[in-house]
Amino acid sequence: MKFKELPPVKEQIRKCVRCGRCRTVCPVFAEVKNETVAPRGHVFMVQMLRDGVVKPDSKVYEHLSKCLLCETCSTFCPSGIDIHELNAAARSFITENQSNPGKRLVFDTLWTSPKLLRASTAFMWSANVTGLMKLARALHLTKVLPGDLPKAEQILDRVPFRSARDQLHETIPAQGKKKLRVAYFLGCATNLLHPEVALATVKVLTQSGCEVVIPRDLKCCGLPHIANGKLGTARSLLLHNFELLSRAKVDYIVTDCASCSSALSDKNVRFVLGQEEIDANLALTAGKVVDLTAFLVNVLDIGPGNLVKRSEHRLTYHDPCHLAKAQNIRKEPRELLRLVPGVELVEMAEPDRCCGGSGTFALTHYDMSMKILDKKMSAIRNTGCDTVATCCPSCSMQLAYGFRRSRVNGKVVHPVELLAQALP
Amino acid sequence: MDKRVLKQEMLKILQPEQVLADDLDLMYYSYDSSFLTKLERVYPDIVVLPRATEQVQRIVRFAYENNIPVTPRGAGTGETGGAVAFNGGIVIDLSTWDEIVEVDVSNMQVVVRPGVIHADLNNHLAKFNLFFPPDPGSSLMCTIGGMVANNASGLRAVKYGCTEQYVLGLEVVLPNGEVITTGGIRSKAIKNVSGLNLTKLMVGSEGVLGIITKIRLRCWPKPKARGIAMAVFSKLDDAPATVLEVYQAGILPSGIEILDKSAIKAVNQFKPEIGLPEDAEAILLFEVDGNAPSVEWEGTNIVEIAKRRATKVEWATDPQRMASLWEGRSVTATAAARVRPDGSRVFAGEDISVPLSRVAEALRAIRSLGEKYGIPVVNYGHIGDGNVHTAPVIDPENPAEAEKANQLVHEIHLLAIELEGSTTGEHGVGAVRRQYAELEHGEALKVMRLIKNAVDPKGIMNPGKLI
Ligand SMILES: Cc1cc2nc3c(=O)[nH]c(=O)nc-3n(C[C@H](O)[C@H](O)[C@H](O)COP(=O)(O)OP(=O)(O)OC[C@H]3O[C@@H](n4cnc5c(N)ncnc54)[C@H](O)[C@@H]3O)c2cc1C
Ligand code: SF4
Ligand code: SF4
Repeated sequence: MKFKELPPVKEQIRKCVRCGRCRTVCPVFAEVKNETVAPRGHVFMVQMLRDGVVKPDSKVYEHLSKCLLCETCSTFCPSGIDIHELNAAARSFITENQSNPGKRLVFDTLWTSPKLLRASTAFMWSANVTGLMKLARALHLTKVLPGDLPKAEQILDRVPFRSARDQLHETIPAQGKKKLRVAYFLGCATNLLHPEVALATVKVLTQSGCEVVIPRDLKCCGLPHIANGKLGTARSLLLHNFELLSRAKVDYIVTDCASCSSALSDKNVRFVLGQEEIDANLALTAGKVVDLTAFLVNVLDIGPGNLVKRSEHRLTYHDPCHLAKAQNIRKEPRELLRLVPGVELVEMAEPDRCCGGSGTFALTHYDMSMKILDKKMSAIRNTGCDTVATCCPSCSMQLAYGFRRSRVNGKVVHPVELLAQALP
Repeated sequence: MDKRVLKQEMLKILQPEQVLADDLDLMYYSYDSSFLTKLERVYPDIVVLPRATEQVQRIVRFAYENNIPVTPRGAGTGETGGAVAFNGGIVIDLSTWDEIVEVDVSNMQVVVRPGVIHADLNNHLAKFNLFFPPDPGSSLMCTIGGMVANNASGLRAVKYGCTEQYVLGLEVVLPNGEVITTGGIRSKAIKNVSGLNLTKLMVGSEGVLGIITKIRLRCWPKPKARGIAMAVFSKLDDAPATVLEVYQAGILPSGIEILDKSAIKAVNQFKPEIGLPEDAEAILLFEVDGNAPSVEWEGTNIVEIAKRRATKVEWATDPQRMASLWEGRSVTATAAARVRPDGSRVFAGEDISVPLSRVAEALRAIRSLGEKYGIPVVNYGHIGDGNVHTAPVIDPENPAEAEKANQLVHEIHLLAIELEGSTTGEHGVGAVRRQYAELEHGEALKVMRLIKNAVDPKGIMNPGKLI
């Protein structure tokens, strides 16, 4: 669809009264403190782009990219503007008008093919020794993610040798009586960087009576593409994934990754595909998507029943933006944590304040990302906990780096890992 | 002056991150919350973000010597184009200078730099059981400097008045670069009638007389108890009548706010959890504060009085319920946009103030003006002191509608003057209400201009605003 015809662009820009309320919650604005990064400023600049007052060039892109797409402003705007959608749409409009071969390679070729992505992480595994820079250069990543990459390479932790997909069958039977058939949307980051989370998810689901299907040809959820000005690619990824998921004939589609569940959510599907591309079948499939935490609490209604193994954890919980703001899922992960015998949950100040990771943002805007991370780490420090639970691999990576950076021996876990440990 | 030279000069005074000179960066400074700046776009030549009096002084002195217009700016939440550089030149964005210099607990005072956000100040003062009472709907975002420059008030003006009542002294950089301290250079006195009252002159001067760089505010002890009564009316006229009866009963609430039918709908759409009653023509929110027994007594009496006309009255003392009712009211200004899916409220003609005895008349007249132009007008605001906010909701990108809205607000402004009120109760004059200055002030406007010329002979300080 044409940029100007996109619903948020067409209908929402005019609703901005420029009251500035959104300035007060934006984590980037809190660091930079001038209007050029205010959410209100982004709405204004998208309007300028729409009206042809500014050209769709890299300078405008650079301005708009100083945004985490964390959605905090969108939930806070009384006019009801999806500020992050406007921003994402504008990034795509600019990218379409520019040629950037590096970006095409990464987002259109590499990140649309699970195999290639897998191969490059295998390469990254060895690159942990030789340096990510070398890999980045080899992939022309430096051209896509300019400037901050040399510093940003530190964020990436050791890449596990075996991905989750390597360790899991396509269909895993339910243990005991089968209650539901569930598709597990195994996201790229969980698959490649946190296979232990995927294993825990499968264990918890199957032990709760779910037959789990992991369709082999699932591709990326498209969120990195949305953030990097590749709405078109995100669109084809979504269509591809929903096609596969629809064929899987499942009762529910769950994912343990907040970014994936938000990307597959009804709201985002409407944004990416537009109303007219959503037929009844697709709507039906999209309606089955639910974040793992909400699924366990609201659908399976899991109780303390089998959670028998006790292990002492004093921990705090970080709300991923894509869960708390994008989907208003806040109480479910906490409920799960409280179910685990031996867990003491200590709330940090502003648990839903963005950690600054936001997928590729930490790579493209390293210094700003670190300032935002520092605030988060100090909130964590004030709880006295050295374990943080969260439900998003991007947050996990960022927070783990936060611990390393401040030389604290801390740990980041997904609530489902603790649940799995408590199971017999 | 050549923009590159201007930038070089500013870089002699400031760090690179305190100077914005790229064309693209400057565009973001073309607006505040006013409808005017949505319709017209003008850019400054440079934006500077100083964080020291000496920096401001050097910037202003340079501007004075070179005849460059200077526009002070806080958070840009003003509705009058006041912070926008219609004549180009330098915008001094003071919002990053947000230091709370000193809380003087024993004298119940606080000294701040201009960029401190109102809500942040009160959060900080709460630790000392103090508060700065004026409570604008923009509390979360506006700066104290902007509040002083606009003499802002808000939801608690009924009992606590406006910003001016709390300003004990100011540090001001005058248009020629000189720095003065008003209210006595050493004075921390609460009462002070020595000399001409330059503090009062500066408060509400909308940046045309100088840049405010330091503010000494008087604080009040934070009340221990609070309650909110919500009264629901099926007839609009019953709301102002009830307000008068509450006063006549000898009760002075800390705030009395009105939301009309469409305002209620708008708030409910944004925050359904607040659950305002939708079957009403209007609701009133009475806030009372003080010690627990007096709050209870006042609350009970307000409820009794309101019941005479209201269809329903709720009395809330639960902090969460109070916070959500109060939040409901403070988001109305923006949420008003929700009453029309493809529309937006515009900040134009939004701030009239009329005598208490004529509020009902004003509300009726505004309603029929809206009908005359075929524009929905959301009414809400500080009815307790006759300050009604009227929000026309239009498609601002439709030129014909914009034109009609401008005619409508012109009539609203004239109405206010006719009803023996004012075109603006708190938002100020700026660029948008200057045309009414003569009508409102007559000969006094000449004296205002004399003062302006004496302080700013070159006319560089926020030109095109106020007078
Ligand atoms: C949603 C909403 C609700 C509002 N509710 C209220 C309300 O209830 N009550 C109320 O009174 N107002 C209200 N306002 C209006 C506005 O928020 C106030 O006028 C506020 O005081 C402006 O502060 P600011 O920091 O945004 O100033 P700006 O808009 O940046 O500037 C306002 C004026 O002050 C001048 N100025 C700013 N800082 C300085 C300085 N340091 N020295 C000299 N001049 C300076 C500017 O030149 C300009 O003329 C509301 C606005 C919005 C958007
Ligand atoms: S809160 Fe919404 S209406 Fe207000 S300035 Fe931000 S985007 Fe615009
Ligand atoms: S999405 Fe997040 S980072 Fe982006 S403008 Fe909104 S609040 Fe700021």
